[in-house]
Amino acid sequence: MKKFSLVEFSVNHPKLVVVIAVLITLGFLTQFPKIKTDTNPKNMLPPTSDVRVWNDSVDETFGLYEDTIAVGITSDEGVLNERTLGKVLRITNEVLLIEGVAARDLNGLPTITNVTAEAGTLKVAPLMAELPKSVAEMERLKKDLTENPLFTGRVISADGKTTAIYIPLEEGANGKAIADRIKEVVKKEGGPERYYVAGDPVARDTFGAEMFKLMAIFAPIAGAVMLLIRYLMFKDLFLSVTLMMDAMMSIIWSMGLLIALGFPVHIMTSMAPVFLMAIATDSMHIFNEFYFRYREKKDKKAAIIETMRAVGRPVRYTALATAVGFAVLMFMDIVPVKVFGAVVAFGTVALRLLSFSFIPAMFTFVKEEKLKKVASGEDASTGMASGFLRGLASAGAHSPKATAFICIVIFALSVFGVSRIVVNNNMVEWFKAGSSVRSADAALNAALGGTSLGYIVAAADEEEYIKDPEAMRQIEGLQRRLEKLPVVGKTSSVVDYVKRINRVLHDDDPKYDTVPSSKEEIGQYLFLFSMSAKPSDLDNVVDYPFQKANIWVQLKTWDAEAMRAVMKAVDEYKLENPGKLEFKPAGIAYFNLIWNDEVLWDMLKGFIIALVVIFVILSFNFGSAKWAAIGYIPLLFTILIIYGVVGFMGKDFDMPIAVLSCLSLGMAVDFSIHFISRLRQRLSEEGPAGTPSNESLTDALLWTAARPGKGIMRNAVLFASAFSVMLFAPLTPYITVGAFIVSMMLLSAVLTIICLPALIVLFRSRLFGGN
Amino acid sequence: MLRYLLLLVALLLPLNSFAITPEEVMKSSQAAFLYPGKDFKARVVMRLVSKSGSERARELTMLRKNYGETGGDQKYFMYFLRPADVKDMAFMVYKYPGKDDDRWLFVPALNMVRRIAAQDRRSSFVGSDFTYEDVSGRDIADDTHEITKEEKFGGSESYVVKSTPKAGDTDYGYKLSWIDKRTFLPLKEEYYDKRGTLYKVFTAEEIKEIKGFPTVVKRTMKNLQSGHSTETVFSKVDYNIGIEDSLFTERYLKQPPKKWLD
Repeated sequence: MKKFSLVEFSVNHPKLVVVIAVLITLGFLTQFPKIKTDTNPKNMLPPTSDVRVWNDSVDETFGLYEDTIAVGITSDEGVLNERTLGKVLRITNEVLLIEGVAARDLNGLPTITNVTAEAGTLKVAPLMAELPKSVAEMERLKKDLTENPLFTGRVISADGKTTAIYIPLEEGANGKAIADRIKEVVKKEGGPERYYVAGDPVARDTFGAEMFKLMAIFAPIAGAVMLLIRYLMFKDLFLSVTLMMDAMMSIIWSMGLLIALGFPVHIMTSMAPVFLMAIATDSMHIFNEFYFRYREKKDKKAAIIETMRAVGRPVRYTALATAVGFAVLMFMDIVPVKVFGAVVAFGTVALRLLSFSFIPAMFTFVKEEKLKKVASGEDASTGMASGFLRGLASAGAHSPKATAFICIVIFALSVFGVSRIVVNNNMVEWFKAGSSVRSADAALNAALGGTSLGYIVAAADEEEYIKDPEAMRQIEGLQRRLEKLPVVGKTSSVVDYVKRINRVLHDDDPKYDTVPSSKEEIGQYLFLFSMSAKPSDLDNVVDYPFQKANIWVQLKTWDAEAMRAVMKAVDEYKLENPGKLEFKPAGIAYFNLIWNDEVLWDMLKGFIIALVVIFVILSFNFGSAKWAAIGYIPLLFTILIIYGVVGFMGKDFDMPIAVLSCLSLGMAVDFSIHFISRLRQRLSEEGPAGTPSNESLTDALLWTAARPGKGIMRNAVLFASAFSVMLFAPLTPYITVGAFIVSMMLLSAVLTIICLPALIVLFRSRLFGGN
Repeated sequence: MLRYLLLLVALLLPLNSFAITPEEVMKSSQAAFLYPGKDFKARVVMRLVSKSGSERARELTMLRKNYGETGGDQKYFMYFLRPADVKDMAFMVYKYPGKDDDRWLFVPALNMVRRIAAQDRRSSFVGSDFTYEDVSGRDIADDTHEITKEEKFGGSESYVVKSTPKAGDTDYGYKLSWIDKRTFLPLKEEYYDKRGTLYKVFTAEEIKEIKGFPTVVKRTMKNLQSGHSTETVFSKVDYNIGIEDSLFTERYLKQPPKKWLD
């Protein structure tokens, strides 16, 4: 077979193979300086996706900015005093000078448009262009702020203790540089006021920085942990390092290829190195077997070649299953998920190639006496670990019914847990509780109308209709309806401006805080407003031909489900109050919802494809669908238990978990492949063909649990230890991934060793009957 | 008188003996651009174009009367014709050099005249890219002026004057104006923001001589940052038509005299 010749070639020309591998690695390494990152969640969907095209058109129609940074300023004694307002004014003036800030549309106390009437004179002007100079002026400002519903929840909190500055960014501006500059500006002003810098660009850039930290610090730590554990297992530094190099090389190859092809590193792909490192642990089986073989043969070269012959098939199939499990992702719609799938699939193939060339070549460099020393510890019958595994397997093999019963109970519990799973995604919660992004967001959400912004675009089929009192009332009714939802903090629309002007023109009489009764009146009010206001004030809420209006809906949470609640309320309102206006959701909150749904749907699709494909691979490998089905059970069971726990814990079934469900299949199936392949190999070596006797089957099962089982356990422990490092990561998706993989690996290893023997004994006649 | 005095001073100076001062250029430009004739009338059509190409139209009749010298008091009367729902809205401005304007607005739907505070001259004029100041002018003494160069612009010899506001309350850092040496009309103005980036450009697209007064009949203001632009076209321009003082009263805001509004 071809692979064997590769192994033999590598054993015969070890130096050449190593040099070639190192050269290829160096080649890919040269690509690394070109690395680019992309932390914008928007890019999860291609720019041509419906939701992005629609959102872009809404942004354009209403002159909205893609990115806005919000600065919250909080003072326990209230912000409406000379000292704090002075700070607000100075901060605003300095921020206006920052390159990339869309100065004309910055909104805060000093710049937001205020409509008032004073001694019969109508005034449309910035609220606080300069500091109030007298007590009377300060009182006036307080009155303006409390009376104008457009301000409360936006630039001032209801309790007067928090004010906010909204800083829109020009297209293509460097959000991180601007946020850093703003942080410097507020730092200079100092306490006792507290400052919060929040907003999408800040979150995104913080995420990007943490992501790099993860790649640059956590991946190497995971590697070091694995190295240490390997060393403890094999007591040989050279071989442990060899195994590490195998992983490192495949990481450098695949990441190098990704960068060379010009793809940016996305949150998904940033996890690829850790995944590859974990997948590389599969080569553990080669080592495991090599030590056993070497003890038996005492000839290095022969042991290598025999080892590869024994484990070659399962190792190839596990690699195939893993690669396919990831390659399935390439059929998804989410671009970074596709890229991630391709990178890991490529890395897996590279790993296997190295397993059959680089690793055997490196084996030849190990001194014989050293091998002897280490291999003496490897005895399936006496080793402590082997004894423990044998014990586990015998529990399964000797009491198959009891084992099956316990499994069924756990199964039922898990199903119940799964039924309690809540599907949701909250991107702010990707940051740890207590992180500056989370606390800034929480502080602003508590004080103001909400940081997550959704839009409801009201559209008529004729121009000028928005100015019709009927349209105004329909919009106003919808606003009041939406404000009843607990997730909605504040809504604003063109109606709020019209009502405000109506009241102000009627000597500030609260009776006129209503929609005027004629279209002319509304048209004239809006014109009057536009005579002095910032053009963006109106542009943000109504389109040029007055055919569409934009209702701003500030949400108090980044939960994707919040926007779903808003959309449901809109539909209900529309049903109860039919009018000429059609409503359509937009904005970042809407995008998050769509993206969330698409990822989940995509992942479900991927999960099903992976299930089918892996089943096919298993059937092909085992030459039997029945064996494939048996091999499948520990795998499915593991995933079910994990989701059951997720359900019981009340953790949201979010994007990272959805992605994992898909990936885990390709990795967890490894153990079944190893176990069943080696068991059947053993049976065919030891006894005659056909159904084995109960006794010989139990013997073979116990041997499998003790010898390849040790490889499985070592693999699982290594895998789990590598990923456990991620539990300390600064971002929750990585923690989720770490926890998920650790539990999945340990669970599936244990389940493989306990349940498979039980199942094989229970279904003995069926499994072997066909042969 | 001042001009002769300045000329005399200039003659006495050994260097730049015949050079015009930047203040004189700006003063002459103000006279040519905002103060020609005793009075003035025009039909103004403004086309507001957003970045995405959507358009809004404003149409009005503008009447202006000068009181005193160039740079002195002026009264404006604007009568809106479009958009349709603001027809009959009328706007009156008393402009005084060195202090805030007085402004009144007639709201026909309420049949009510309201005084409007004129706080910020740099705010947008009826939602366009022109500011109130662009429409009615800025006091020359508010800026320091400097002739940075003289060059040919669009076929006309022109002065390039850099005007930097003395106070920091403007939305721009400085302005460059290309002033035609012959007509003293501004051919182009470039507004630089406080960070020194060009962000707004005024262009005189078409100049016609009407009753001996060179008049910018088509102009555009383009905001490079927002992508928004406004084109203003003057038609039915006339000078020295004898607008009476009585026009500029509240009474005529409510019922504008037909003869001026054809």
